[in-house]
Amino acid sequence: MSAEPADVLVVGAGGAGAVIAKRLAEHGAEVVCVEQGDWVDREKLPKAHVDWEVRGRRYWAPHPNVRRWPSDYPVASFGDNPIDVYIYNAVGGSTIGFAGNYWRFAPSDFRMRTLDGVGVDWPLRYEELEPFYDVNEREVGVAGLIGDPCGPPRQPTLLPPAPVGRPGRLLIDGYEKLGWYWWPTEQAITTVPYDGRQACDHRGYCPFGCPQASLGTADVTYWPKALELGVRLITNARVRSLTLDSRGRAQGAVYYDSEGRIQEVTARVVVLCGGGLGTPRLLMLSDSSRHPNGLANSSGLVGKNLIVHVQSFAVGRFEDPVEGWHGTWGGTVSTRQFYETDQARDYVRGFIMSGCAGYSPLNLALQLAPWGQEHHEVLDRYLNHEICMYLCGDDLPEEVNRVELDWEHRDRWGMPGVKTFYRLGENSQRLGEDMIRHAHQVLEAAGATSVRDFGLSPIWGWHLMATARMGDDPASSVVDRYNQAHDVPNLYIADSSSLPTGGGVNPTSTIQALAARCAEHIWEVRRDWRGDH
Amino acid sequence: MAYDRRQADVVAPKDVGGGAQYTDYRLEVGRALVPVGVPRGFNVLDERTAATLRGWVECLIPARDGRPSAAEVGAAEYIDATVDSASNLREPLLRAIDRLQELAGEAGGFASADLAARTRAVRALELDDTSGGFDMVRDFTYEAYYAHPAVLASLQRDLSWDGVAPTRGSDMEPFDEGLLQRVRALPRRYKEVR
Repeated sequence: MSAEPADVLVVGAGGAGAVIAKRLAEHGAEVVCVEQGDWVDREKLPKAHVDWEVRGRRYWAPHPNVRRWPSDYPVASFGDNPIDVYIYNAVGGSTIGFAGNYWRFAPSDFRMRTLDGVGVDWPLRYEELEPFYDVNEREVGVAGLIGDPCGPPRQPTLLPPAPVGRPGRLLIDGYEKLGWYWWPTEQAITTVPYDGRQACDHRGYCPFGCPQASLGTADVTYWPKALELGVRLITNARVRSLTLDSRGRAQGAVYYDSEGRIQEVTARVVVLCGGGLGTPRLLMLSDSSRHPNGLANSSGLVGKNLIVHVQSFAVGRFEDPVEGWHGTWGGTVSTRQFYETDQARDYVRGFIMSGCAGYSPLNLALQLAPWGQEHHEVLDRYLNHEICMYLCGDDLPEEVNRVELDWEHRDRWGMPGVKTFYRLGENSQRLGEDMIRHAHQVLEAAGATSVRDFGLSPIWGWHLMATARMGDDPASSVVDRYNQAHDVPNLYIADSSSLPTGGGVNPTSTIQALAARCAEHIWEVRRDWRGDH
Repeated sequence: MAYDRRQADVVAPKDVGGGAQYTDYRLEVGRALVPVGVPRGFNVLDERTAATLRGWVECLIPARDGRPSAAEVGAAEYIDATVDSASNLREPLLRAIDRLQELAGEAGGFASADLAARTRAVRALELDDTSGGFDMVRDFTYEAYYAHPAVLASLQRDLSWDGVAPTRGSDMEPFDEGLLQRVRALPRRYKEVR
C-alpha cells in the first residue's frame, strides 16, 4: 500500500455503484471506484449502425459467454429451469443493455411475509425509500405520468410519457374493451431535453444502445457528474478479493489491472456493487480464516435465494400493419391490473404486462421464417403485423436457487466463473401461466388474430437479485436495513443482490433508489469511519 | 429484452455441454464483427467451395418479387469473412460444404445444379448435419440478409417497415392524456400497508 486510503471504495461502476460514487462525492467524500470493465465506446453502440441487429448478436450480445469481452467471466447455468444470464461488465453495468422500464415497487412489495405469508419482509417500508426514489428519478430523467392509481401519490418529477404509437393505441383499445387499468409505461428516457441530454427521437430497440443518450444508462446519467465531482474511476480493474485489516474491518481490495498486474486500493469504507452474480462471487472469493465460507457470510446466505422474476413475452398478430418499428422498445402502455395478491387466484403476488413494439426483421426471421421458398411469405405475414408484450412477475426467494463459484471455467486472469442453479417454484409457475393467459386475453381484445408466447423456460436472466439480501436478523440476511454487512461494519453491499424480494416490475429504479439511501447513510455515519462531524 | 430466441439456451461456457462434434457458433462469434453490406470477396474459401456456398445461401433465401436473394447481397462472402475472424468455425463450414457436394452427386456438382436440385440437397444436409454447420450457415445468411440496406429498402417498399428508423429516429405524436379519462377515475389500485 503506497497511497493514503480513500474515504470510500466502490467496487463496480454499474447502476448502483454510480449512484453511491456520485452522491458521496457530492457530500465531499473522497471516492475511488474500481470497475472490471471499460467505458462503452459510443461509436460502437449497435444502433449507431444500420446492421445493429447483427452487432447485437455479436459483441453486444447480452450473454457474457457469447460476447466474451475481456471483462466478462464465464457463467454456467444449471437446475430444472436454467437461466439465460444477461449481464454487462462495463461502466454503467447492465444498465447499458437495459430497456429503461423504470417502475417503483409498490408498498406491498416490501411486506411479502406479512401480507402473503411467504418469502420475507424488507427491513424498511416504501415510505422510507420514497424520498430516494424522488432524488434518483431527478438524476436519471424518468418519463411517465403523475396520478397512476397503482402507486401512492408522489412528487411531480416525471418527464412527459413517451409516445405510444400504433402499437400502444391498439393495446389501449384492448384494455378499454376489457375495462382494465392501464398506464403509460414509466421509462428512464428523456422525452424532452433534460439535464444536458437530448430528447428521445424514437429509434426504438433501446437495449441495442442509445446514441442519443436519452436512455438513462448509468454511464450517461451519474458517471459524468461523478467524475466532475472528483471520483477516481479505475477501469479494467478486476477485483480478486476484498481485504480486511487486523481488526477484521474492510480495508480495500486487491485487483488485477488491465495488464494482469496485482494492485491494491484501500479505503475507510468499502461498498460492493457487483450485481446479483458478481457480488456473491467476490464475497466467496474473499474467504479467509476469519470468514471461511466467504466474506460476510456467517448466515450462509451469500449466493442463496437467487431471484430472477417470472418473465415471458406474448406476441399478437394483427391483420393490418401495426407500425411495429415505431417508438421506444421497453414500453408503450402497461397494466398492473393483476399486481396485488388476489385470494381468488391460486398464487400469491402478481405481475405487470408492458406493451412493446414489434420484433425487428432479423429477430423475427430467426424466430419464425423457414428457409427456402416459403421464407418470404412467412416473414411478410408477421413483420409489421405483430406487437410484443413483456411480462414480468414476482418470484419468491428459495434457497435452492443460488450462485456458486465455477472453478472449471475461469476468466482471463484465472479467477473462477459463476454457476447458477435455478428452478421455477410452484407459485412462480402458477403466476407465470396466469400472466401469459392474461397477455393472450388483452392482445385478443386489442384485435390480434393469433397470439404466440415464449412460455416460462428458459428463464430470462435480466433481473438477478437477492443473493446477499438485507434484513434485521443476521441469521437470515447478509446486510442490514442500511445495506451494511452484519459481519463487517464498514462493508456495504448496495446493489441488486441486497434486495430481499424483487417485486413484480423491472428493478433498476428500486436498486438505484436503495443505493442513494445507502450513500446517505454512509455519509450520516461518517464519524464512525472518518472521525469528523 | 429485445433479443432473438435463437440466442437463447446459452447455459454453459464453450467447453461444456452439447455433442462432442457439435460446434455452437454462438460461442465463437462475440469477437467476430463483420459489417454487413460491405463489398468483399472470399478469403477462406477457394473458387469451388465459394461457388457451393453461394448456391447454398441462394436456396436459403431465394429472390422473390423484386426482393434480392441472399447470394445477391453477399451472404456467402459475409460467412467467409466471419469464419475468417472465428477460426473454430472454419471446420464446420468446410465439412458442411463437402457434405453438400456429396449429397448433390457427381453430375455437375452442387453449384451448377438448378435451384430445385440444390434445395433437395440442402434439405438432406439439414437432416444429416450434426456438426452445427447447417445451423450456422442458415443463421449467418439471415444476418447478412436482414441487415443489408438493399433488403431493408425492399421491406420498406413491400411492408412499410422502416428499417432505418432505429438509426435515424422518427417523428411521433405525443401521448394523448385524454385517453386516460376512464382509468384516472378508477379507485386506488395499490394495497396500503400499515
